[in-house]
Amino acid sequence: MNKGMNRRDFLRAVGTGAVVVSVPVLISGCTSKVLNPDTQAGAHGTYFDQFGVDTGLIRRTLEKGLSRGGDFSEVFLQHKIGHRVGMEDGEVNRAHTAVDLGAGIRVLKGDATGFAYCEELTEAALLAAAETAAAVADANAGARPQPLAAVLVENRYTVEVPWTDVGIDKKLPIIKRADAKARGRDRRIIKVAIDFADTTSRILVANSEGLLVEDDQPLALLKVICVAQDQGNTEVAFQAGSSRDGLRFFSDQTVDRVAHEAADYTTTLFDAVAAPVGELPVVMAAGVSGILLHEAMGHGFEADFNRKGISIYAGQIGNKIAPEFVSIYDDGTNERLRGSINIDDEGTAGQRTALVEKGILRSYMHDRISAKHYKTRSTGSGRRQSFRYPPVPRMRNTYMINGPHKPEEIIKSVKKGLYTEMFANGQVMIGAGDFTFFLRQGRMIEDGKLTHVVKDANLVGSGPKVLEAVTMVGDDMWMYSGGSRCGKDGQSVPVSFGLPTIKVGAISIGGRRS
Amino acid sequence: MSKTLLEQTKAVVQKAQKLGAQGVSASLGRSRNSRVEWRDGKLDRLRESTSMSVGITLYVDGRHSSNASSDLRPEVLDRFLEETVAMTRVLAKDPHRKLPDPGRFKDRFEGDLKIYDQAGSAAVTAVWRRKTAEDLEAAARSGPRADQIISVTSSCSDTASESAKVTSNGMEGSRRSSTFVLYTETSVKDEGDRKPEGWHYAVTRHRGKLPGVEKIGGEATRRAFLDVGAKPEKSGRYDCIIENRMAGRLLRGLLSPLNGQLIQQKRSFLADKQGQEVVGKILSIDDDPLLVEGLGSRTYDGEGMSLKKMPVFEKGVLRTFYLDTYYASKLGMEPTTGGQSNLVFSTGDLDLDGLLKVMGKGILVTGFSGGNSNSATGDFSIGIRGQWIEGGKIVRPVAEMNLAGNHLEFWKKLVELGGDPNPYSSWRTPSLRFEKVQFSGLS
Repeated sequence: MNKGMNRRDFLRAVGTGAVVVSVPVLISGCTSKVLNPDTQAGAHGTYFDQFGVDTGLIRRTLEKGLSRGGDFSEVFLQHKIGHRVGMEDGEVNRAHTAVDLGAGIRVLKGDATGFAYCEELTEAALLAAAETAAAVADANAGARPQPLAAVLVENRYTVEVPWTDVGIDKKLPIIKRADAKARGRDRRIIKVAIDFADTTSRILVANSEGLLVEDDQPLALLKVICVAQDQGNTEVAFQAGSSRDGLRFFSDQTVDRVAHEAADYTTTLFDAVAAPVGELPVVMAAGVSGILLHEAMGHGFEADFNRKGISIYAGQIGNKIAPEFVSIYDDGTNERLRGSINIDDEGTAGQRTALVEKGILRSYMHDRISAKHYKTRSTGSGRRQSFRYPPVPRMRNTYMINGPHKPEEIIKSVKKGLYTEMFANGQVMIGAGDFTFFLRQGRMIEDGKLTHVVKDANLVGSGPKVLEAVTMVGDDMWMYSGGSRCGKDGQSVPVSFGLPTIKVGAISIGGRRS
Repeated sequence: MSKTLLEQTKAVVQKAQKLGAQGVSASLGRSRNSRVEWRDGKLDRLRESTSMSVGITLYVDGRHSSNASSDLRPEVLDRFLEETVAMTRVLAKDPHRKLPDPGRFKDRFEGDLKIYDQAGSAAVTAVWRRKTAEDLEAAARSGPRADQIISVTSSCSDTASESAKVTSNGMEGSRRSSTFVLYTETSVKDEGDRKPEGWHYAVTRHRGKLPGVEKIGGEATRRAFLDVGAKPEKSGRYDCIIENRMAGRLLRGLLSPLNGQLIQQKRSFLADKQGQEVVGKILSIDDDPLLVEGLGSRTYDGEGMSLKKMPVFEKGVLRTFYLDTYYASKLGMEPTTGGQSNLVFSTGDLDLDGLLKVMGKGILVTGFSGGNSNSATGDFSIGIRGQWIEGGKIVRPVAEMNLAGNHLEFWKKLVELGGDPNPYSSWRTPSLRFEKVQFSGLS
């Protein structure tokens, strides 16, 4: 091999992870040249050494970043391998592999950001990107970066076998099982489509303050989409299960649950009537209704919007914004949830951030820039979609903790209202505070009892008003981790959220039944 | 340069064939993007990138996979092809997976679509971007009530891209394009803690076609102030006008069910509606890939099939589904194309003010929030903001309301189209006037 690489090094450096069959099968005698990148940082350097990026090159890149007088420079390296396998019409007949490799170079001067990325990890490409990013400042000379010191962080999502070593042979039985379970659930199910996706993202963050830290982030998803027909009507629904875990996440129990829920959500829709029009009190079921926190409050608590003064929550730290029994957290440390991170994409350790405690707004979610602005510490909330983007404050796993009420008593307390069970998506106007979320499925509450099913209505309200109007909080919180993604600044990152059953004041329901 | 890209693409196809793929379709793309973001009198973010990626679709022994990589080191690309070819062999056979019929590559339009501004791209400088972004902010702050402005963010960006496509059964193509974008967002003070935002933008293929900064910066601020004091109205059936630049958001729910996958998978409420009148007779929509300077213009699609103008809706009648080779084969139909290019709408004579006068009383929808549409049933519900109109004039802003309906009924309530197609989108939507549609707000 060229440049004195031995074969193993070569294989590591070029491995794309499109593993056909699993490694144990290979060891037992298969001769196919199946490759996989090395999974851990070696004893003598970082994961990216195999791509020719050693700490010397990282340091030269950081130094180039500071060469125009920037305050801070940062190198973010990423190697991401993604696989998707799909089933439609009963056959696993599609697959997709994606390999992404590159470096994002960021230079800060005050609040201002210079950012460039490159997709080649050569010295020339890295230094050119650093020079571009350096132009955020305009002096002739700059400081030298601190010597790099590697930091080890707690790993909350180790996997026994990395996804780059898991072949399609191990995924096929899961997909086939999910298909059979969904189809077998109800004779009205006429189509089932399955999407199985896994990604392995290895990142390295190094900065001019001497930080050097790596993380290996697995993420897996099983999505089951069902189509059902009954008396000329067609309904579609899906369910997904996702985790920062390896193959073991897809136990029979989990696969069956996802498949059955997908089927049940679909067939239940046949019983649904159009949602009502106008304002009603709303009881939000535990779990997936956590999208309320994400849209109605979460984005407003992201510090960049507050630093710019444009969030409705700007200047509100220390103020009472919700009743006493409301406490809301954003957390990177939950075990294996989609939004869990050992480090954020600026290298800050994963942590739990109290946003609202006993009704008082305690903290925004900070990245490096906003933390400096507010003279506080980063909350480990600087996230980015990939090396192609600069980080911004983002949510991780957002949840409200349990309150004093029982779910049954909450439902019982409503004379006429809406009980929300399944959502599709949401959005918020950061400044005005108006939020929306789209209800896929819920039930009416009449005289304290759940009655008929309703579907497909957009709910709209004012975030601060809804938070003030939380009148009851249940004791049944759970985290939904079914494949949610959050979009902001043109970037998408995986997140999770959770909620106990809660009762809020009137929300406007955009149904069709007047 | 394009020739090199095309040659490289051909080499990828040949390599994959050698490794055992009977059919190969490969695309190589390269693009350069630069963007300056300016906020409140200061440089906020400077972003630059050059990127390149390869996409490869493989047909191996009756099986299929599609793959992408940004790691283009030759030895890695070789290994990537080897592994993906091997992976494809493990999948189930699928007789419907095949390259397009070579006949579909013929008669490609050879003229100039004017989607690449070579001189404009070459002439752009970092100084111009920064100055333009700065000028956008100045324009945003130049009007009355500037002291009520909380923050202005503006940006100026440009992209130049080139790509090449080759299939193993005879298609070869390459193209270049450019886009130039101006954007401004203004936040202003309102009662209490509310801080409404207004935004406006322009995107063009040619730098010389960008509007003046006052048309963007000033407009963003005007829109922010229009939203001050917004409140919901009572629920009811009202006449409404959907502003041209937002109409696409609602149209998505009508148009995405024309996609072959949704039709074949029985997730489309339009699956059995071809040839039927589905929307108001006044609405015609053409998919026109050959529109000069169009933001969606292209002479061949993602599979390499040559494109030409086709009617999607003709006087209200649904004419065409979007079918790629695979789903067309599964449906036993002829492929059209798998994706939209430019959508050109029938238009009327009136501008927005004219439409407001005709409507007299109702809601002008200027923004959507959240919402969704059920592709299987056509039911939709979407958050709106806008203006309450009386006597053909803006009276007060509205927010926190929803618009809901079923697409099969809703589009029959379309009574007039504006003469104001949005030039800054590949969907050149005019403003749309509807009668008596369902809004929900206060009880």
